[in-house]
Amino acid sequence: MTAPGLPADAENISAAGFNKFTGPFYRLSDDGDVRRFAFVALDKHMNGSGTVHGGLLMTFADISMGRTSRLVSGAKSCSTVALNCDFVGPGRLGDVIESRVRATRQTRTLVFLSAELSAPGRIVMTATGLWKIMP
Amino acid sequence: MTAPQGFSEIRLIDPFEIHVGPAYGAGEIPQRRYAFRVAAHHCNLRGVAHGGMLMTFADLALGQAVWDVTDKAPSVTLNMQTHFIAPAREGDLVEVRPELTRRTRSMVFMRGDFTVDGEIVMTAQSVWKLLGQD
Repeated sequence: MTAPGLPADAENISAAGFNKFTGPFYRLSDDGDVRRFAFVALDKHMNGSGTVHGGLLMTFADISMGRTSRLVSGAKSCSTVALNCDFVGPGRLGDVIESRVRATRQTRTLVFLSAELSAPGRIVMTATGLWKIMP
Repeated sequence: MTAPQGFSEIRLIDPFEIHVGPAYGAGEIPQRRYAFRVAAHHCNLRGVAHGGMLMTFADLALGQAVWDVTDKAPSVTLNMQTHFIAPAREGDLVEVRPELTRRTRSMVFMRGDFTVDGEIVMTAQSVWKLLGQD
């Protein structure tokens, strides 16, 4: 079952743990070499001033980029080593926020990624990060 | 959940922080420390604290510290850089004593070493914009 505003084929990727506790988060269809993910901003995601909390946006960046590190490397498990997030603009209640993730480079043990998170028509966050491929 | 020894629960306002909380504080400004205890719902499938939870706590704790040094001036996070040094596990108490790097008229630079039993699990630094200050 998908949320209103998301395509019918959106795949819920938040089955357990912190992903489920803070989600749902979804994977959308790929756009060429861009991996796409989305969530709908709910009441529980907000901060006191009525915009989406930075911690939730960083969580979504981590989830979408971590999933992409596994998709491009084929590894079962990857760990976040470093993440850099710029809070470009606010997300609002009810927004469908999409993360578009690109792999910049993959080595034997590491994946370098960048992501852009946006609400319709405006960028919310840009992020770059480094993931370790777990043996 | 009872507060860890020496800490008391801090009053959270943001719905997302209330959702993932509680969080704790101890000591007086500017030596004030913050903490949270890793619960099962903070973890991923590998049984370690999710990076998203650690970053959310970093934003919460460094944001409290920005409040501490600005007498609760309204502010927003502009940027956060996080390094994940070691895993934190269910039951661990994650602690930080935020360090003010610099305050200008319109911005605050804050950083912290996040530790479990004295060992660093994460470092984070963030830049904050003080609203209404050009």
